[in-house]
Amino acid sequence: MYLYLPVALTSINILIPVGLGLAVGLLSGLFGVGGGFLMTPLLIMFGIPSTVAAATDSNQIVAASTSGTYAHWKVGNVDFKMGLYLLVGGFVGGIVGVQAIKVLQAMGNADFVIKMTYVFMLGIVGVYMFIESLQSMRNKKTATAAEEKEEKESAVGRFLKSLPLQTRFEKSGITHSVLVPIVLGGFVGVLAAIMGVGGGFLMVPIMVYILRMPMHVVVGTSLFQILFTCIEVTFLQAYTNHSVDFVLAVLLLLGSTIGAQAGAVMGRKLKAEQLKILLAGIVLVVTVKIIFELTLTPALLISQAGGH
Amino acid sequence: MKNFRLRIADCGFAALAVLVFILTFAAPASAMLTAKANHDHITIDFFYHGSTVSVKGESDPGVDLVIKMTSPEGHQVLKQKGRVGGLLWMNVGQLKFENTPNFYAVYSTKKLDEMLSKEEQKKYIIGYPALAKHVEVTPVANEEEKTKWFDEFVKYKEESRVYASTFGKIETKMNAQGHQEYFILTDWPYQAAPGDYVVAVYAVKNGKVVERAESKVNVEQIGVVKTLATMAKNSAAFYGLLSIGIALGAGFGVGLVFRKGGGSH
Repeated sequence: MYLYLPVALTSINILIPVGLGLAVGLLSGLFGVGGGFLMTPLLIMFGIPSTVAAATDSNQIVAASTSGTYAHWKVGNVDFKMGLYLLVGGFVGGIVGVQAIKVLQAMGNADFVIKMTYVFMLGIVGVYMFIESLQSMRNKKTATAAEEKEEKESAVGRFLKSLPLQTRFEKSGITHSVLVPIVLGGFVGVLAAIMGVGGGFLMVPIMVYILRMPMHVVVGTSLFQILFTCIEVTFLQAYTNHSVDFVLAVLLLLGSTIGAQAGAVMGRKLKAEQLKILLAGIVLVVTVKIIFELTLTPALLISQAGGH
Repeated sequence: MKNFRLRIADCGFAALAVLVFILTFAAPASAMLTAKANHDHITIDFFYHGSTVSVKGESDPGVDLVIKMTSPEGHQVLKQKGRVGGLLWMNVGQLKFENTPNFYAVYSTKKLDEMLSKEEQKKYIIGYPALAKHVEVTPVANEEEKTKWFDEFVKYKEESRVYASTFGKIETKMNAQGHQEYFILTDWPYQAAPGDYVVAVYAVKNGKVVERAESKVNVEQIGVVKTLATMAKNSAAFYGLLSIGIALGAGFGVGLVFRKGGGSH
């Protein structure tokens, strides 16, 4: 059955957004990412204008991440304190990032910088996570390796411990200076604003590898933080660009809210290393896809302005 | 291949054919061209998935016909892809297209170049080459570059089904009064935005437009589709908050359902 989308000004088979929502929502509940890096290009592929695709996706993520946060909170996997500090940083970072884009655009090579930043970030994160989780999967078999890892951690750990304003994050079972999540959240915020994505795929590895949070708490906390970021983005998109398609968002969230629940349940059955290596795999696939897009001659040399 | 056939022969009346022949050459413009678009008010509701528009009318016998459907002209800004460093494809800038209709469909009884002179095509903006001359593209270095980007523009528009140029789809036949009746049924794409569209019909003889008639098609959103589209534009803050509210509600709602339904955790 087809439904007409009043803002996108196009008609779509309702099975497409519901199915996409289900699939991306599953990834969201499983890994704690918003999934914009998958959803937005897929929506564009199905004929949704790029500006509407990006804006409506953030609206949909509000629903998926609410559903996902709720599911993870029920089993005690959301560190609200950590999430709030990350949010404060992310909010400031977002403002800085938007200004940075203006500077890049004025310099005239915004697209090149954005695309390259995106590919490198995805590539580095994907490769690092993949190798690390592969190693820790092997190390699990040899018990001694765990101690080695402890030592490696201490270099960064010592620096982080030397910072002022140390506070305990009960849920994650870690102690950090409040400056650490604020600065890291800000860093992700700047990059996310420049790349025009939510930044979940950056936030998750940062929480795992720098903040040393347990993987399952990372997923819940990341979703909590994404929820607020996407509320802000949805409002700004609706208010300034009029590009949120309410009907499309509802179709997507029909799938994604359920997908997120299923993802959360599935995640509980997987080990942290398995989750990490799966996410790394997805990030690497997306990286390869973008590299192909960059090198193969496109069918159309003209596209709609706006969006990403 | 031309699938257009002059139906004069089908009539089988040789005498009539001779008469038509004489009339054709004797009376150049007798102001008899008519055009009527049926289904001229297309309404978009939730279940809209495109429509059809048919145009019919009468003309002098023996003339060729062009039917052109267009939206009002405007300007469009589009992203331009190019190679960076000889290897990577990415957006390298923006192109501005002025005097450009969002929707442009031309149907003719024969190939345009076989029935209409270049000057006349240009004068009435009939066909892509004529439209290319009419449209202004900036920034381009020279005419060659303009043609290249206009062609890309047409490709992009045809992809979203809002540009078309074909011949042979118009059916013609002679009626009892010795007039030529024409008829075309076109698919109206759902990608065509709401608005007013002009259906212009041109009668062509000896490479020249001899008559022009006009009809209109109006495409309008109605009901909830219209309410939502208007709200998104005119009450943006409220619309944004509503969208967020519904998303939050749906997220919580599904969470609750799963707790009640699943229960094991």
